[in-house]
Amino acid sequence: MDFDPSANRVVGTARIPGGATPKKAPVPVKIIVAGGFGVGKTTTVGAISEISPLTTEAEMTSESVGIDNPGQATMKTTTTIAMDFGVLTIDQTLKLYIFGTPGQTRFAFMWDDLVKGALGALVVVDTNRIDDCYPAVDYFERAGLPFVVGVNTFNGQMGYSLDEVRWALAVREDVPVISYDARFRASVRDALLVVLDQALDKAIKMKS
Amino acid sequence: MTYPDPADEPVPPARPGVRPFLQSGPKHSAGGYTPTGEQPPVEPAQTNTLRPFVITAGRTDGGDPDIGMETQVTVVPGAPPSRFSPEARAIVALLEESPISVAEISARLRLHLGVCQILVGDLRAAGQVDVHVLDNDTPDPETIMRVIRGLRSIS
Repeated sequence: MDFDPSANRVVGTARIPGGATPKKAPVPVKIIVAGGFGVGKTTTVGAISEISPLTTEAEMTSESVGIDNPGQATMKTTTTIAMDFGVLTIDQTLKLYIFGTPGQTRFAFMWDDLVKGALGALVVVDTNRIDDCYPAVDYFERAGLPFVVGVNTFNGQMGYSLDEVRWALAVREDVPVISYDARFRASVRDALLVVLDQALDKAIKMKS
Repeated sequence: MTYPDPADEPVPPARPGVRPFLQSGPKHSAGGYTPTGEQPPVEPAQTNTLRPFVITAGRTDGGDPDIGMETQVTVVPGAPPSRFSPEARAIVALLEESPISVAEISARLRLHLGVCQILVGDLRAAGQVDVHVLDNDTPDPETIMRVIRGLRSIS
């Protein structure tokens, strides 16, 4: 900035009531909630957020390769995707953002932006459609982002045991596979605490 | 959601009603706001480039890579009023309530995320807003501990 704020304050008093005391911006941290359609991402975000989940839309261009026609050149497709997110104010100076993001492979290009600076991720799994979460697991493994597999127990029921889910996903031993109920705040809180434990482990390792 | 068929034309059909986008236009522009009605008619044949944003006068890139979804934006107190688009002015008005993230701006003003990132970048360049870019991308253990304590305290 090449102007003197104190010189401008006089001009601005008409616009900003009490403008002499600028509010300090809190530090944002974020956790990603990923998974296929309809597995309970929005429910998860809504359960923990202090505001009703907001939706932001992003128009994305991606290169997609013709799988059936390998000889064909790549082409560009434009997709509008919607992301739900919620906010949790930890204190005056710290805000937790929870972003729910579609888990399809073809959206992976936007995850690079999304995971930048993220603490960790919760991969939501519906045991009836377990393969929906494969792209998210693949991505977070490669990105080195701490993540936790959370099996959403719709109506308290799970089609498969957690061991079976772990076997199907073939995640590393140190990746927690837990069950939780996306409808209940305490349950989502506990799932996020497991994510944060993973994040803390990684942060401590990186520091030492 | 549409799955592109590789056998199809490499050009997705224009979808009417998606407000911030036109089918084509100059990729870069000097800036300024052009109302939708004043855009010259566009050729449907040019749609193999990304349809640029109208609100950002056609710019689809040039957004500051520092401006992430959760990046906090605050209004600069006492910045002299400038001539901006209604959307940019709406952002400034929103920020006068409290500092919020780019994602919240996008959701509350119903603007696409990419549009918001560019507009916030414009406002930052004009000295109207401050963008609070974090020094380090990787969160430190202290911060994570604070989040853990904060989460544990909710019921």
